[in-house]
Amino acid sequence: MIGQMLLRLFYQASIGDQSYRFLFKKPPPGEAVSIDCETTGLNIAKDDIITIAAVRIKGDRILTSEAFEVAVRPEARIAPDSMKIHHLREADVEQEKPIRKILRDFLYFVGSRPLVGYYLEFDIKMLDKHILPFIQIGLPNNRIEVSELYYERKYGNAPPGTAIDLRFTSILDDLGLPNLGQHNALNDALMTAEMYVILRDMRARGVRVSRERTRPMHDMAMGA
Amino acid sequence: MHGFDALNPPFDRLTHAETEGLRGAVDIGYFAPGSVIVERGGSSEFLYVIIKGAVAEKVGEETQAMLGAKDTFDSEAVVHGSASASFVAEEETLCYLLPRASILELVQKNQAFAAFFYSELSRRLDAFAEHRNPSGLESVLRLRVKEARCQEAHFIDGIRTIEEAGHAMRERNSITLFVRDEGRIGIVTWTDLGEAAILKRLPLETPVREISHFDVVSVKPDDFLFEALIAMTRHKKRRIAVRSGNVYSGVLQDIDILELFAGNSQLIPGRIDRAKTVADLVPCASDIQAQVQRLHEQGIKVEVIAEITSDLNRNLISKVFELTVPPSIKENGCLFVMGSEARAEQTVRTDQDNGLLLAAPVPEADLLKFRQAFTESLEACGFPPCPGNVMVRNPVWSQPLDSFLRQLKSWIITGGGDSAMNLGIFCDSVAIAGQSDLLLRAKTTFMEMMRGEKAHLAHFANFIDQFASSDIGAFANLMVSVGARSDAVHIKKVGTFPIVHGARTLAIEKGIFETRTVDRINALAGTRIFNAEFAQNLISALHVFMELRLRSQLKARRLGNMEGESIVHMNELSTADRDILRNAIRVVREFREIVRHRFNLGYF
Repeated sequence: MIGQMLLRLFYQASIGDQSYRFLFKKPPPGEAVSIDCETTGLNIAKDDIITIAAVRIKGDRILTSEAFEVAVRPEARIAPDSMKIHHLREADVEQEKPIRKILRDFLYFVGSRPLVGYYLEFDIKMLDKHILPFIQIGLPNNRIEVSELYYERKYGNAPPGTAIDLRFTSILDDLGLPNLGQHNALNDALMTAEMYVILRDMRARGVRVSRERTRPMHDMAMGA
Repeated sequence: MHGFDALNPPFDRLTHAETEGLRGAVDIGYFAPGSVIVERGGSSEFLYVIIKGAVAEKVGEETQAMLGAKDTFDSEAVVHGSASASFVAEEETLCYLLPRASILELVQKNQAFAAFFYSELSRRLDAFAEHRNPSGLESVLRLRVKEARCQEAHFIDGIRTIEEAGHAMRERNSITLFVRDEGRIGIVTWTDLGEAAILKRLPLETPVREISHFDVVSVKPDDFLFEALIAMTRHKKRRIAVRSGNVYSGVLQDIDILELFAGNSQLIPGRIDRAKTVADLVPCASDIQAQVQRLHEQGIKVEVIAEITSDLNRNLISKVFELTVPPSIKENGCLFVMGSEARAEQTVRTDQDNGLLLAAPVPEADLLKFRQAFTESLEACGFPPCPGNVMVRNPVWSQPLDSFLRQLKSWIITGGGDSAMNLGIFCDSVAIAGQSDLLLRAKTTFMEMMRGEKAHLAHFANFIDQFASSDIGAFANLMVSVGARSDAVHIKKVGTFPIVHGARTLAIEKGIFETRTVDRINALAGTRIFNAEFAQNLISALHVFMELRLRSQLKARRLGNMEGESIVHMNELSTADRDILRNAIRVVREFREIVRHRFNLGYF
């Protein structure tokens, strides 16, 4: 947390393009943005972004009606392995908008709201590769990692030696969320937003994610 | 927007452009357990479609139903501005929020979609029924020849006369004969005989080979029916031979193909009529059952199927009676059916409920023999024995009128489960054969005895709550748990029984002699107990349950396990069907309250 604060201060001091000072404004209360990027591979130095998706969260609403989704022209070739994961061919992304314009739209969409993601660090590093040369700073927004929220709700009080499973699909299963089809940036961002609103509320109410394999049904008492 | 399932009814009724338009307007809302999403009586800015979680439909403190993933609420609040119940999140719940303005616009534009939002169950039901897709001609034509009802092959020698051929056809109940003539095989039909004798005035002694056709067109048992149809058209024949290898095994007629498509209800009575033994009736009985499935696949409404089936079954039962009855009983007796068969609400046969009344005692030996023979013959035809032994075989249900009246009286006085069950089943009875006035006298006396004492009727009415606890319980369990078998709704207990029993109790009270539940409800609509609109909803609810039951019976039969024939699993229903079922259950609840209130059942 302190690291994040210091980074923000540093960014605030070193921002190149002053028109992006809005990134440091106080975020609108209760809002956040769930983001996800599909990339050509998992190597930050060599690989690049194919699509960026973002969905705003306002209180208990997920604003899917105004979601952000753009395909980017990749500067690195798509690694064959990665193609298997997200079914995007190079031809699909070749015709897309230049990255500068996309980043501007993205930054305006996100504003100063906290970012929500699953292994968010990877997505931010990918985005920062382009944002740094553009406005001389990386994304200064606060970050909310859903796998951490989930870990805390599920394993926070677990006895030592408990096997820990933070896979995306495990979280979906545990929270009873339908899998919309992964490896599509918008679907991933949307499912992450769903995880976030549920986990956030469970934390507020002090309710834990059960570690039982099958969830007990609390209204069996009403039985036939 | 991604993820929104447009295949989920009623959204499957939207065009592609309409779906895309709606998607662009959809947000997602999260509701913590305990939060009220829609308030009873209030309007709603959104139509909610549950993504995950559970939402209780509540009136006051009472949970009426539990909604789960893909369920929709509340169309009344969106379209009519007043929710019929409160909707409260029971678990962490996510819903798609479909803006009211978009929904209203679609309701204006798209009629099939709008049907989902009609306020009366009966209208909604009709609209949905119209959009059911029957599986038609094509699937029939992809059946094989051996799956059609071909006629058996009968042979005659070519040197036999026209007259002999005519008799042979009559004896074998067939209008086509294969003709053997010096190593070749031909065909002669009833029409050929008629033409020869009448139009050509050939003597009746003419050898049949002279009027036979030796250009026999044939198909193989494994050919598709459409191939048979093509062969008929090409050769301008209404009948073709079925041949495997060198052996002619049967004759396929155009009508046999038509029958598979259009059903054969008009032909079955003829077959029943022609039957000479119980064994002849067995295929008729299975035809009646096959017919049920066929009619259902064609999208015929369940009440019509029940009506057709009941007519056919009565035909059959009456024929069984004719074949098994000795003269002494035929003169003195009245055969009647009871229960769902008598109310004409049975589609797939579940059991046989029948009885015999006698005007005077008959020879004991005759009676003993008939009791056994009749029940067993029906069983041979595929009417399973009644688990409660309400059958002619049981002496309680086959006795002289005066002793039967004493029996009825003792049931009324003792009350209790078995007595009430017997009275209920007798209350729904219809004479099938013999002296029908015997049954009328028994029923009249029964009605008088029941109506004479308010307490008798109240005890009888109280039966309506027999399964009362099972609806909410089943519902609550079912939607919340995603688990194994807990989403089962027992259609008969939750729906059919309370409607049937309530209607018959009120019918007794009002001295209404109708037997069918629909007729009883319509007759009751004229009284002050409920109005015509409620009657219509109650009838629709009954039909909803009958339809769902039929579906699950047909499925159970396909799987060869009739155990769960009255169980419907909610997660196997479409959202629209679930919504309709929920509404039907709501109507039943209201009806039960009417009956309870009328007979002061709170005191029991």
